[in-house]
Amino acid sequence: MSRAGPDRSKRVDTSINRLISQIIPDNPHNTEDENQQRHDLLFQQVKEQLERPHPPPLADQNHASELIRRRLVQSDPNLALRFSNLYSRLLALPILDQKWAMLYLLHQLTDSPDPTLPDPLAFSEFQQEETRRQRRRDREEYGSLSPSDRDSEDGLAPDPMAGAYRPTDLRDVLKNPKESKSPDEDPLYGSSKRPVSPSEWKRNRVQVDEYPDPPRRDVAIKSKLLADNYSSIEPPEPTILRDLPYTLQGISSATLPFGPDYSLKLPSSLPPPLIGLLHTLAEPSLLCKALQDFVKTPAKGLLDQSLRAAINDELRSYLTLVATLEGQIRRALSSIDEMAPRSGIGKAGVTLKRCVVWTREATMGLRLLSLIAEESKTKKGGQIISLIHSFSTSHGDPIVGAFAERLLTPITRPFYDILRHWIYDGELSDPYSEFFIQLKSTEAMAKTKTGSTNVWDEKYEMSHTMIPSIVTLEFANKVHLIGKSLNFIRHSCGDAQWVESYSKASSKELRYGDTATLESWIDDAYKITMRRLVHLMTHKFHLFEHLQALKSYILLGQGDFIALLMESLAANLDRPAGAQYRHTLTAQLEHAIRGSNAQYDSPEVLRRLDARMLQLSHGDIGWDCFTLEYKIDAPVDVVVSDWGNRQYLKVFNFLWRIKRVEFALSSSWRKVTTGSRGVLQTDHAMVQETWKTTRGFLAEMVHFVGQLQYYILFEVIESSWTELQARLKREDATLDDIIKAHKNYLNSITHKGLLGARRRRFVASSSNSSATAANEEDDNSYMIQLGELLRTMLSYRDCVDGLYSWSVSDFTRRQEADLRREDMDYDESPGGPHSEFPALQERLQHLGDRFRTRLQILLGDLAYQPDVDLRFLGVSMNFNDVYQPIRRKAKGTPAPTTTGGTDKEKGKERERERE
Amino acid sequence: MPPQGSREENEKQDAARQAVDILHDISTILNCHLDRRTLSVCISMVENGVNPEALANVVQYLRKEAQKVNFAKQAAAANQ
Repeated sequence: MSRAGPDRSKRVDTSINRLISQIIPDNPHNTEDENQQRHDLLFQQVKEQLERPHPPPLADQNHASELIRRRLVQSDPNLALRFSNLYSRLLALPILDQKWAMLYLLHQLTDSPDPTLPDPLAFSEFQQEETRRQRRRDREEYGSLSPSDRDSEDGLAPDPMAGAYRPTDLRDVLKNPKESKSPDEDPLYGSSKRPVSPSEWKRNRVQVDEYPDPPRRDVAIKSKLLADNYSSIEPPEPTILRDLPYTLQGISSATLPFGPDYSLKLPSSLPPPLIGLLHTLAEPSLLCKALQDFVKTPAKGLLDQSLRAAINDELRSYLTLVATLEGQIRRALSSIDEMAPRSGIGKAGVTLKRCVVWTREATMGLRLLSLIAEESKTKKGGQIISLIHSFSTSHGDPIVGAFAERLLTPITRPFYDILRHWIYDGELSDPYSEFFIQLKSTEAMAKTKTGSTNVWDEKYEMSHTMIPSIVTLEFANKVHLIGKSLNFIRHSCGDAQWVESYSKASSKELRYGDTATLESWIDDAYKITMRRLVHLMTHKFHLFEHLQALKSYILLGQGDFIALLMESLAANLDRPAGAQYRHTLTAQLEHAIRGSNAQYDSPEVLRRLDARMLQLSHGDIGWDCFTLEYKIDAPVDVVVSDWGNRQYLKVFNFLWRIKRVEFALSSSWRKVTTGSRGVLQTDHAMVQETWKTTRGFLAEMVHFVGQLQYYILFEVIESSWTELQARLKREDATLDDIIKAHKNYLNSITHKGLLGARRRRFVASSSNSSATAANEEDDNSYMIQLGELLRTMLSYRDCVDGLYSWSVSDFTRRQEADLRREDMDYDESPGGPHSEFPALQERLQHLGDRFRTRLQILLGDLAYQPDVDLRFLGVSMNFNDVYQPIRRKAKGTPAPTTTGGTDKEKGKERERERE
Repeated sequence: MPPQGSREENEKQDAARQAVDILHDISTILNCHLDRRTLSVCISMVENGVNPEALANVVQYLRKEAQKVNFAKQAAAANQ
């Protein structure tokens, strides 16, 4: 201060004043005067202090900065770097002459206690002052106050001798931790005069909560006290801390060795609180160890592998945390002072408790991971994804949710790879069958191989348990269809080229997360593949033409062809089945094709048409065994399957029989009608009568067959065909839709075509055991009834043929007789006593009656069909009520009332018809 | 020239502010617990030739005194 002029010292004075008022708060409990007094006092002291001669501290400003830098490098290199930056900026500034002094000041103040935090030292001094003040007040009461006494009390630096007569000072307690350990000689309890014991002090504090800092101060002081009361433990905390990182990594250490079966041995000499802490710390350690072992176990599949990889990743980040922790611990351990209480660990910044807090979040992650690992052991493929997905979507804890969500991305990668391969290449690259679409097992394939393999339905199947919950069922179905179609196009339709170009053009990287885009991609892929497949089916494999051909040839849609075929084959087929030769059949078929409009059909279709004999059984004639066949090959047989072929054959055989009866009846009718003008003319009343009834029956039969045929061909087949067409022509029709539509088409034909319809509706409801038997019996009952009817008609026709030949022979006999005897009266019996006429007549009568009865039963059944079309068939056969439909009684249930009802119904129908 | 003078003044103030900023940063790094106002007072004192070591002692001393005042305040409040 030697060079300070008056001006300068004045400025310093104002600065001191500002400094004091800046730092020292006003005590609101004191008066203005007291505060002023205090201020002045302090001013005096400060000035004194400043003016006291000091040795010039450091000559060189670099020295100050060097001191600071060295200090910072020790604690934190980052801070040192920052300081260097700041320092260079400071040097660049034009103002400030005494930069080094400023730095030196800061250096002196480095790590000074926070003025806002309670300082036990200050507190103890305060206590001393209070004591002295009190004493002074006491002394004042006796009127003895010496100035020297006052001086000593208010001296700036604590008097070194003061400690001697202040044995109860808190500060001393802090300095001598060893002494404080025994409560008996605890000096705190020695001083009963003032609230110096922490508990009393605290009681006071509690009442003044409006001050912001008391609780913190309380804690700080208490922790200090606690630290000093701390008894040494074995092994000491630093040792445990040093070993902790190893334990956290799952490595055994001297103090904390791992036992067998994921157990950790804690030293028994530790006090319970520490054991508690170590228990908490043991959890991540054990989990980590278990997970490390889990990661090492062999994976069962791609998803298992990805799960292990993801867990490994998480473990790695956990180990990073442990490494940081270890660094902290190392640094803390290197800086602790062995001599300080509790080895000074409280000040070093790393304690077991802190480690617990730091590993807390990681522990939660590890816990979830080990849960996943544990549960995934019994699961596979999509189920693993479902498991983790359920954590991410339906767990209430948002942390768990986010964690699982993060895991999902790496784990689902192989799943999406398979998915991509499947929907863009149509190949299933799933070596561990983890995908929800699986190749059917070879045994299942072998079973179906007895027929023909239906690639479409049989090759791949969807396993519902493997569908991960990240995709919906509808989505999975679509995916299944896409891949199946691509596979079908590639392998069955031989269009691998298109599949490849498609996969190149539209292949996209699929990943977890963006479900909306993923779905739109899947939709795109779905549309493209389906369009392509239908296109291939219609244009390359002529699916629709085949269906059309099946209808016109197998379902007798092409009338001229069938008529011609039947005409040319009739003579041949009357012979026994054994006498049928394939070459004649094919020749006749060829003839029928050439002679009808069928010749204009495409050769592709005609090539597939074939005539052959079914398996012979003894006594069959050609009619029973003949069949037409339409051969369907590779890709189209997906639609027209084996089952479909059988249905077609069934319908064809039925129709063929009807056609044959019709053919037979009409040829007889023709013969009889022409004959009645010539050879059949007779005067015999009985013969005339017989012929009349015979013609009547024949007409009835022709009517019946005509109605039946009309019904099947037009009401059933044509209407179903229209329906099928409508479905096939739909814009978004997939192959599955086509297959389904075709199936429906065949079903409705067989059902309505009397080939499989149930006779009664509520058979099953009566009683269980008998009903099932009756049920099966009933299934084909129309078929049986119609078969009987057709057979009756054929035998009737045979009889008519017999009658015709008898009439012809009778005619010739009569003509011969006429030549011999001109006028001779007829006998009572026509044709003489040995004539076969009565037998024929009786047989005709009998067959005719049987036909009628059967027809009536059939009509009775038809009238109660639930199906409108079948009821309509009954009505059209019996439009003028010639027949009385007979209602067969259901087994065991008398139904007189219902018959009455039906009569009434019939009556109503009749009325309706009249109108 | 008044404008120029004021500009010089401005520049000076600017530099002073920067200096306080930098020193404040350093003091934060060093845990000195000095607020900006106290710091600027200290700067002016040091610039006026006060011995830094003595000043550091003074600051410590004054802080202690301040704590004492706080204790007195609390004690008074408690006694009320």
